Amino acid sequence: MRICVFRLLAVVSLLLMGIGVALAAEGPIKVGVVLPLTGEQAKFGEIEKNSLLLGLDEINKAGGVNGRKIELLIEDDTGKPDVGRSAVEKLISQDNVVALTGGYSSSVTYAVCAVAQQRKVPFLVSTGSSDKITEQGWNYVFRIAPPVSEYPKALNSFLSEVVKPQSVAILYENTLFGQSGAKAFNEQCSKSGIKVLTREGYEAGAVDFKPMLIKVKAAKPDFVYMISYVMDAALLMRQSKELNFNPKLFVGGGAGFTLPEFAKNAGAAAEYVFSADLWSPQLPYPGTKEYFENYKKRFGGPTEYHGAEAYGCIYVVADALKRAKQLTPDAVRDALASTDLMTAFGPVKFVSYGKKKQQNALPTYLVQWQKGILQTVWPKNVATKPYVYPVPEWSSR
Amino acid sequence: MKRPFGQLFLLFLLLILPLVIREAYYQHLMILVLMWVAIGSGWNLISGFTGQVLFGAAAFFGFGAYTAALLSSKLGLSAWWGLPLGGILSVAIAFPFGWICFRLRGPYFALATLALNEIFRHVATIWESLTDGMIGILVMQTFVSKAPYYYVALAIAVVSIVVIDRVMQSRWGYYFVSIREDQDAAESMGINTLYYKMLSLCISAFLIGITGALYTNYMGFIDPKVVFSLHDISIMAILVGIVGGVGTIYGPLVGAFIMVAVQEIFRSGGFGLLNFIGRSTGWPFMSSITKFVGDAHVLSFGILVIIVILFLPNGVVGDWPVIRKMFVRSKDQAV
Amino acid sequence: MEVFFQTLVAGVLKGGLYALIGLGMTLIMGVMGIINLAHGQFMMVAMYITYTLFHFFGLDPYTTLIISMPSLFLLGLVIQKFLLNPLMKVESILPENQVLMTVGIAMVLTEVARFIFTSNYLSVRTSYSSSAFYVGGISFSVPLSIAFILACLLTLGLFLFLIKTDLGRSIRAVSQDSGAAELMGIDSAKIKVITMGIGAGLVASAGTLLLPIYYLFPDIGGPFTTKAFIITILGGLGSTVGAIFGGLILGLAESFGATYIGMDFEDLVGLIIFLLVLLFLPGGIRRLTKV
Repeated sequence: MRICVFRLLAVVSLLLMGIGVALAAEGPIKVGVVLPLTGEQAKFGEIEKNSLLLGLDEINKAGGVNGRKIELLIEDDTGKPDVGRSAVEKLISQDNVVALTGGYSSSVTYAVCAVAQQRKVPFLVSTGSSDKITEQGWNYVFRIAPPVSEYPKALNSFLSEVVKPQSVAILYENTLFGQSGAKAFNEQCSKSGIKVLTREGYEAGAVDFKPMLIKVKAAKPDFVYMISYVMDAALLMRQSKELNFNPKLFVGGGAGFTLPEFAKNAGAAAEYVFSADLWSPQLPYPGTKEYFENYKKRFGGPTEYHGAEAYGCIYVVADALKRAKQLTPDAVRDALASTDLMTAFGPVKFVSYGKKKQQNALPTYLVQWQKGILQTVWPKNVATKPYVYPVPEWSSR
Repeated sequence: MKRPFGQLFLLFLLLILPLVIREAYYQHLMILVLMWVAIGSGWNLISGFTGQVLFGAAAFFGFGAYTAALLSSKLGLSAWWGLPLGGILSVAIAFPFGWICFRLRGPYFALATLALNEIFRHVATIWESLTDGMIGILVMQTFVSKAPYYYVALAIAVVSIVVIDRVMQSRWGYYFVSIREDQDAAESMGINTLYYKMLSLCISAFLIGITGALYTNYMGFIDPKVVFSLHDISIMAILVGIVGGVGTIYGPLVGAFIMVAVQEIFRSGGFGLLNFIGRSTGWPFMSSITKFVGDAHVLSFGILVIIVILFLPNGVVGDWPVIRKMFVRSKDQAV
Repeated sequence: MEVFFQTLVAGVLKGGLYALIGLGMTLIMGVMGIINLAHGQFMMVAMYITYTLFHFFGLDPYTTLIISMPSLFLLGLVIQKFLLNPLMKVESILPENQVLMTVGIAMVLTEVARFIFTSNYLSVRTSYSSSAFYVGGISFSVPLSIAFILACLLTLGLFLFLIKTDLGRSIRAVSQDSGAAELMGIDSAKIKVITMGIGAGLVASAGTLLLPIYYLFPDIGGPFTTKAFIITILGGLGSTVGAIFGGLILGLAESFGATYIGMDFEDLVGLIIFLLVLLFLPGGIRRLTKV
């Protein structure tokens, strides 16, 4: 009986190898993509996948890479690191891809990066926002998005030039994004002399934030900085309004506060809320507006910065493939390293600074909800509307 | 051990496997299978043989994983020390936990282990100064090649099967099973049930803990959500156990293979087969079928559980005669 | 002082909802003797029903109770009849087979919901969703208060049902001693089917009441399953009074934990109370009140 089991095992693996060989046919240039397409993170995986496909079609319609088409092999990582690793091993050893892109959650992205570095295949990370990912000295790993600690860059200059606050309360969800963002912002505040009154984490998905908010209200901070995902963000704002909590301003640290669902769910409570942001469809980059419109036309819904990251990625990869001396992973890596491209996501150039290596240094923005529309308000040169500050109290709206 | 022949042959094949199948992708899948063999065996000892259902295998798995990671990040030692130490520390956790919670029976014990699992996950998330919270801990991988990890995983898997086989043939095994069958009767026969339940839990925790430490070494990155995952570790361990066969020595081996294979087949659309068919035939509905299959992987786990519990309550190994009858009935009749 | 009272109010209002979640679970646990690890997923299904009715037919979330509760009652019946009752006849090594089965059911329900509605966050926004009224500077959320009142009414209804009707008495009889109940001529398999239905219906009401203030996605069930069994153990198996107190205690403990220890400890507080009760007060509050 045990032998039976083994026999089954042997037959299955032989079959699988056969399929693998059959699939490795000649054809277009193969680029691997690892994204969460099922499971809890599927929503963003889907947006990134759609954006990649949108960009891919545009590139291939325009003649591809020196006459050859690009083919994207998209694998599902299901949001788990070990499965992500299965996916990338398959892409490298069976499909012989020349480059990799994608990477949404940081834990999966890290697992994929390690394999890419070991197997010497360049990997352009679209999201995976942990600071550590580009701090390992890996020369096959590039990242188009800024690390999470840099999201509030524009906010810092706004605070020091306009608001000049004395104190802050930091609220964050207990995820990688929340915890590392809170840590970085905390350091930033102590550097610029803003007193951090409370720093409070919470488990994402809480029903009731009132106990935390009432405590923060009693501490009377000048402003509140919140790193939350979209539904928590909406609940936080609604409950702040219910508690009649009036700091000088509410600021979101990107993520949930910039999504259309936030405004829809928070309703009137979303008005005048500021947020750090990486991208918006009104930015003056070439193709930004077209990307937003085309996405909406083809997929029937709005896109946001994760999608823009992925859309930028496919153009950067195509550009690198064009410039690569040969179509080998090493040559593509070298080409990626010398990227200097303007994309719909923003300027892309991989630089090393501090501990980071091959990191795209992107400017970030401060946005504000005004009459249900997200407006870029800072820095002034890209602002679509002037900022509203001071913000009126809840009772006088 | 009527046929040590079969086992030795299987072991030999597993030993030369990385030499034959050189593709990193399959080697990676085999490493996952072997890890699940060890975790499933650990689960099976306390739950399948001793009858104390463990709903929190991830508590020990994560503890082992964090031991290895912290050794490397806080003390600068090699994370490989986590293998022995992770196992030992998992036992150190299992000991007080069992001491306190073994007065609970049946579903209450199961719930207590589930609570332990969740408590550990929360603590690892909140205690940022020690664990870096959800930022996670990075450990540099030692080897580029998969082979060393494969052999370590194989060693752990073989050790866990051999240990459990030996234990179950000894007097301890007899006590374990009698506790499962009727705890009060066992007690009245003079068996110190607390002592033997503790023993069983500690062996389980050790096996699961070292596997956790291996996970850290192999994957190179852990965070609380990954290693203390109720869904992806604790419940998966139960699935490996019940699909393979509760209370059988080789059940976890079969269960681990089935679970990893099912996960991978659904994830990759039959190893790219569906995509391939879609592309070569040009049928437009193939791509939606591929997506459907990809989406269905957790669903398939759920359906598998329901089917197994309803029709194969003793798992593939335990109910092998039943399965065999279903398929070879016609042949038997012909003879 | 404002901080204290606001925390108290938040805890009590949340506790009312928790009680409703716990009531269904405690009935199931009392009668069946099993933990229903698909309880939160039942709630999730009810929330999707409410969402669909609100979104496509424009029904007020509270009126959808008339539909979501019977639907879940039926779902509970079907699951008990075709998936759980047959297990009593299946020979197996582990007596916890039924519990493991509920894990499988939970996975299937979650994934089916994901198939139909995708992983997107959905919500039901009504005019009163974020309104509040104030008593002495303390804010009371309108939808939470409505939920609290409805929860009280439903609990009262359940009480009357269990005490006054024959069916209710049969359920209590099976819960106390299923062997003796069978000797008295009660069909315990049938009672189990009905109890599962009622349990599912109760948690459905909790889901429907929660939706206007919360949001919805397929994985929402898991955390509520955990809360449900914490409440049940806290209150004592099969004890309806216990479930109400258990829900209130958990709601208050979470709120005070969040205010005075830290919001990150919210869930941890519940789990630790759970372990302590399990160890030092086995039988829960029921042992103190004897109800």
